[in-house]
Amino acid sequence: MLGPYEYVVWLMCTLLETAVVVCAYKKDALRRYILLNVYMAASVVFSIARYNILSHYGFTSKEYLYFYYYSDALLTIVLYFALMSLYSHIFSDLKAERYIRIGTLILFSGTALFSYAVVQQSSSKLVTHFVVELSQNLYFVGLVLTYILWAAVMKMRETRTRLIQLVLSMGVYFSLCAANFALQNLYQSRGNFFEFLTPLFGCFLPLSWAYTFWHLPEDARIVPSRLAVVPR
Amino acid sequence: MSRKLAVIFLAMLVLVGAMSLKTIVVTHGSSNSSIIMANGGAPQPPTPWKNGGAPQPPTPWKNGGAPQPPTPWK
Repeated sequence: MLGPYEYVVWLMCTLLETAVVVCAYKKDALRRYILLNVYMAASVVFSIARYNILSHYGFTSKEYLYFYYYSDALLTIVLYFALMSLYSHIFSDLKAERYIRIGTLILFSGTALFSYAVVQQSSSKLVTHFVVELSQNLYFVGLVLTYILWAAVMKMRETRTRLIQLVLSMGVYFSLCAANFALQNLYQSRGNFFEFLTPLFGCFLPLSWAYTFWHLPEDARIVPSRLAVVPR
Repeated sequence: MSRKLAVIFLAMLVLVGAMSLKTIVVTHGSSNSSIIMANGGAPQPPTPWKNGGAPQPPTPWKNGGAPQPPTPWK
């Protein structure tokens, strides 16, 4: 049964997601970071739809269960393409958009094929297995891609503060999810604590993106520190 | 052509790395927490293939309590 804490965090998260789109619109960043904003707008729409289904059918209903996981898979796919759009921004000087698009599609197709290969042996609920498997596999692909992107930011000495902030916040978000999962496995007896903590992580990404769009202008510049100090 | 091949190679490399990472994490993880990431703040229902709280039955390829015979290829 859901308590007031879950509802408050859910509402807070949805409001923050709305704030991202509003801040981006107000600061003229809506079109520039269109896929990031599509992800946040889709999150708001799915949050409202999830609430409607939850209130009509209940938390343990199959309707809510299936809608939750199918919508989650769609959101993960959009997040993956949003991450790849950050690659396009970072590598825009190299005129590598075409290759990034090709790589994005190949990686997505490879992940989908791999997910299908994993779940094809399970006879029942094949589509649902596939949807959840694809969502989780894309998460790991996103995790690896974010770290590669951060390495590229450092190597290319990217100076656009807003872009750096967006990449960093995504890295922290993915890392939080991974750390949460690892700690849950290490301390399985503290399950209640993690049930309390996990929904809060969902608020991190919209909070950091809203802050980025609102406080950091597009022309702001910063110099990231070197990866390693090389003695002369 | 070589650039396209390099892109394909890099994409496959990322995929192999990500799936290896997932294998390591999931192998050491518990069977109850198979969902690692969830978008948004909505409460997460149990995984679709574990409806209800009933105990999980034994795997189909181990019926009964009889001792397992040695594999045919050994």
